[in-house]
Amino acid sequence: MSLYEGMFLIDNDLVREGWPSAKAVVTAALEKHGATIHTARRWDERALAYPIKGRRRATFLLTFFELDGQNHPELRRDLEINDHVLRYLITSVPALPETEAEAAQVESSEDFIVPPPPADDSGSYRPIQGVDSDNDDSDDDDDDLSLDDDDDDDGGRTRTVTSSRKKTAEAKESGGDKEAGGDKEAGGDKEAGGGAEPAAVSSDKEKSQ
Amino acid sequence: MKRAPRKPTVIVHKTDTLDYKNLELLAKCIGPQGQILSRRRTGLTTKRQRELKQALKRARHLSLLPFVG
Repeated sequence: MSLYEGMFLIDNDLVREGWPSAKAVVTAALEKHGATIHTARRWDERALAYPIKGRRRATFLLTFFELDGQNHPELRRDLEINDHVLRYLITSVPALPETEAEAAQVESSEDFIVPPPPADDSGSYRPIQGVDSDNDDSDDDDDDLSLDDDDDDDGGRTRTVTSSRKKTAEAKESGGDKEAGGDKEAGGDKEAGGGAEPAAVSSDKEKSQ
Repeated sequence: MKRAPRKPTVIVHKTDTLDYKNLELLAKCIGPQGQILSRRRTGLTTKRQRELKQALKRARHLSLLPFVG
């Protein structure tokens, strides 16, 4: 019998039904194969760095248990079959960490309330490095590009429309809100290099009509 | 005259535990694209660099850190 550390990613749909039942899915699988569980506690609930089985968030269960080495393949097979366990990692450890027993006792106390996972599972992972700290909306060129669905695949054409959008914004500032479409066409015609391309776009539209 | 090699800034201290759950530390040891920094950048010994590599790969497996990006 060796001591192992197991980290299990549990599906949040199961965790929302109740943490004890979700925890029991893993502990029952361990006990089925003769494991002696020392501690089992909720480590964290977080957005994943990449989706696993279509899930973007998961709850992490950290366990320390003793298990006979011969039972490992059967345990792994059971865990891989189980749909509620998204992923797992079992590593051998020399001894139970000192702080682990205390941390597990906190969860077992009656006062402790397991925070439920957010109702929406579409959480976005924020990478720890390279966090986009630019929260200002002053550079909204991307928003401008996303507005036109016709010509995203052409760099020159996109540039033309972007410049025409800028002119539209200038026109809006001057008070001509209703003439935005007309300004767009006028802006496209004024472009020296890509003047013909907006015309091509409009001809495409006519064909489609 | 040969220039002395530049000493890397200390990212990982001797007392730090290189564990896959220690994400604050591991995040310092990966580049902007998620690649493991070299020993020249981390300043670790070969043994500790192997421990770092193992911890990072375990964290990636559990989706705690990205493989790319």
